[in-house]
Amino acid sequence: MKRTMTLNLSDAEMSVLETMCEEKGLSKTALVRQALRLYKSVDDRLARGEKVFVESADKSEKVELMVL
Amino acid sequence: MKELIDRVFLLNRATGRFEDADLYHGLDSTNLAHIEGRWRPLFELRRREAKASLQTLAEVNAEDAHWEWGKKALAALNDPFLFDFFVLECGGSTQAIMMTRKGGQDCFSRHPEHQRVPLIYVEFLATAPWNRPKLVAEPTYKGAGRALVGTAVSLSLEEEFGGRIGLHSLPGAEVFYRDAIGMTDLGADSEGVHKGLRYFELSSSDAATFLSVQH
Repeated sequence: MKRTMTLNLSDAEMSVLETMCEEKGLSKTALVRQALRLYKSVDDRLARGEKVFVESADKSEKVELMVL
Repeated sequence: MKELIDRVFLLNRATGRFEDADLYHGLDSTNLAHIEGRWRPLFELRRREAKASLQTLAEVNAEDAHWEWGKKALAALNDPFLFDFFVLECGGSTQAIMMTRKGGQDCFSRHPEHQRVPLIYVEFLATAPWNRPKLVAEPTYKGAGRALVGTAVSLSLEEEFGGRIGLHSLPGAEVFYRDAIGMTDLGADSEGVHKGLRYFELSSSDAATFLSVQH
């Protein structure tokens, strides 16, 4: 069963959402759903004491990803 | 807990006739009992035979014999937000089983046609040992693996991922995914948990082709 919610976004937030939907070929619902899954996936790893890093394309820089 | 979601057809190679097979979302203790009580003994027998005849597990199509489906099911049931399970039953037995991931790591396309867009990642897919050429002399059912790949494609469409799916293949299954399913071989991972395994992807356009072919 799916449930419906209303999401209030600023113009800037909505603009980013619409741009990403266009780039990824997803509806707003599908994109928010995927963002939530990614967030949870990362958060689960951090909760287990793991670390998530982002590496630059040339591998010269590596920073730890922090999430809320 | 499982729910019947579709009915598909498997070719019984012995009779030459198609039989109804029930496709379920989820799995229950009966499926795990089939795997432990019916699949595992056959896998073990062939594993011992292969070892005695100096064959590799890939050569006898049994590289996944060690997979512990009970543990995988537990992990998936604890996190239905990210994972789905599907089983295919026919002739009173579990004929194939699949675990998919729909978010987080591995769920982004590497295909040059549409890099970084989301996809369904097939974590594990296995058919019953008696359905596998090379593992048994006379395989029973044909089409179980393809039916579950089709299920992953359907899930991808339902999630608005355009039918895209990705997976890492064991060496013995590479020909199946490349030639029988039509997935693109994007090479072996050089690092990470799938290091050494080749990564295959079904692009949106390949998914459309896959679905248009009569099986």
